[in-house]
Amino acid sequence: MISLKIQQTFIEIKTDFNGNIISIVDGYFLKNEFIESKSIFKICTFLENVLDFLPINESLNIDSLIINDDNQDFNIDVEILKTEFEIFILIQNRTTLYKYIGKLNQNRNDLFFLKREIDEKNLELEILRKIAEKANEEKSRFLAMMSHEIRNPLHVILSYIDLIEQENTSPIVKESLKYMSISGKNLQVIVDDILDLSRIEAGKLQLAKLPMNLGVLINQIQSIFDKTHKNPDVELQFYVAENIPKIVLTDDVRLYQILINLINNSIKFTEKGFVKIAVKLISVENNFTTIGFEISDSGRGMTEEQALTIFEEYQQNQLDDNRIHKGAGLGLTIVNRLVRAMNGSISVNSKLQEGTTFSIKIPFNIENQSDIFEKVALKIKNEKSLKGTKVLVADDNYLNLTIVSHILKQEEAEFVMVKDGIEALIEISKNTFDLILLDINMPNLSGDDLILQKSNYEKMNGKTPILAITANNSVENIATYLDLGFKDVIPKPFTKSQLIEILLKNL
Amino acid sequence: MIAKKVLLVGSFGVGKTSLIRRFVLNEFSEDYISTIGVRVSAKIMKIQEEEVKLLIWDIAGTYGEEKIPKSYFLGASAAMFVFDVSREETYLDIKNQLDAVKSISGLKNIMLVGNKKDLISDEKLAEIMKIIPISIDLMTSAKEDENVEDAFIKLTLQSLK
Repeated sequence: MISLKIQQTFIEIKTDFNGNIISIVDGYFLKNEFIESKSIFKICTFLENVLDFLPINESLNIDSLIINDDNQDFNIDVEILKTEFEIFILIQNRTTLYKYIGKLNQNRNDLFFLKREIDEKNLELEILRKIAEKANEEKSRFLAMMSHEIRNPLHVILSYIDLIEQENTSPIVKESLKYMSISGKNLQVIVDDILDLSRIEAGKLQLAKLPMNLGVLINQIQSIFDKTHKNPDVELQFYVAENIPKIVLTDDVRLYQILINLINNSIKFTEKGFVKIAVKLISVENNFTTIGFEISDSGRGMTEEQALTIFEEYQQNQLDDNRIHKGAGLGLTIVNRLVRAMNGSISVNSKLQEGTTFSIKIPFNIENQSDIFEKVALKIKNEKSLKGTKVLVADDNYLNLTIVSHILKQEEAEFVMVKDGIEALIEISKNTFDLILLDINMPNLSGDDLILQKSNYEKMNGKTPILAITANNSVENIATYLDLGFKDVIPKPFTKSQLIEILLKNL
Repeated sequence: MIAKKVLLVGSFGVGKTSLIRRFVLNEFSEDYISTIGVRVSAKIMKIQEEEVKLLIWDIAGTYGEEKIPKSYFLGASAAMFVFDVSREETYLDIKNQLDAVKSISGLKNIMLVGNKKDLISDEKLAEIMKIIPISIDLMTSAKEDENVEDAFIKLTLQSLK
């Protein structure tokens, strides 16, 4: 005996070949809709045009159909058997089961469309990101180009100020020169900052990884500030923990830049009290050490809001900050980016009218210390002189030529000045020199084209070091010049001591 | 009056149910409700002075390489394969998908319709027509009621052949 509950889940009907109901064989599912002698197609539309095609004595299953009764949908599975005289149709109500399947199916499809929408949005974002990146690259390129164009004349101005300062001049001239020099150097800081930032943004900043003695670096910084720090109301305090590794591998120039920038920043905003620089060991693990640098002051401090934006570009907290203090507000942005490029972190803690503390943590690689000492020993300076050295200088910029000639004259070097590449080529094909300095962008024959014409000067200067003297001093440019055969690159702007150091190194 | 059974097949979410609702009830809804199983709708058409009762089987959209049960095609006179012009994955492998439907259904010709033309530009539409290696019968929009009736007339004519 089949229970009533089960009988309500199905119905079996017998019809003729035209779909007219002959009888209800069993079950109660939608029984009132299946009336003898009436067509089954009224409720089972899906059977219309199907019954004629049924094979004889072969059962056929059609699953997951929907029928509607009194505005209510039912999901059914159907089994049909056509004999020689009639058709048996078994209909099973599967509404509950299909309701769950339906929900799962809907969720699956909804997820698909959601994922698709996210993918499309991501694609749009990627396009927008590329556009923004391109615009940023253009901006950086423009700034780099502008900075480069400003650097050349600025170099000339500062060099001339340097030269005039060495002459006997009246106190008024000396005073004027001092202010010219301060303003010029201020402008140089801004230009250098812009160049640095555009390089970092363009991903062109390449960090060196050379052995460096941290203690020596801090001593150097201390001696620089001992000479330049003039405010007796602000005491500079330097602390270096004894347990820090002596030698670490890093880019000493950039680490120096980070520390100098932060110390200068603290000095700028501290009228009275102290500026403290502390270096301490945070951890040592295998070949790595993490060193903490803390630069704290008793200056004017910042509000929480100001501290949050302190690493943003062109950020200076008071309206007249960029007039009173050097720079365009890029210093801390550069510090932040440089620290990040060194895989380090920087944070700031400040209280208004109490002071500010910048805390930096930088991981350094520490190789076998004895190997490093050998490498460092190799870097010991060579005490040579330029006296009597024969130098050819080729530059189309008369002012640049004059500056180099002044320096060489002071160093008692013998030199020949030429104003383009052709003149330089003629000169080096006839006379032998100890050093050849070539500007890159020269009329008639550029420095990089000249060096390739080795057959013309090989006899007289085949072994003479040729140095590029240029303001195109990005890492890529320097690599290109070295590949072309230049022994070294003198980057503009340079100071007298920098020029002499590079010349001596290549003698 | 003769009755003809026709089927609408294609991937899920391409708008098969929307096309049928637009054609039979002249209704459209933006909401997407996935079809479970098969719903059969009927509409009387007058074609070449003859009344045809079109029995339209709305088959649940397939997912990936899912196959349509062969039993659904029993007694079918024609079928319409619907793809979504705004979704590449619904037409990139269309030739193989159509061949699979032909093989299961035993139908020689299957009508090809690209729906949701309102979502893309005419240029993109022309591009798609170039990409698809087989002839497209019609581009439709159930939402804007574009070419929907024409598509079903064409399907009915095919069912009468």
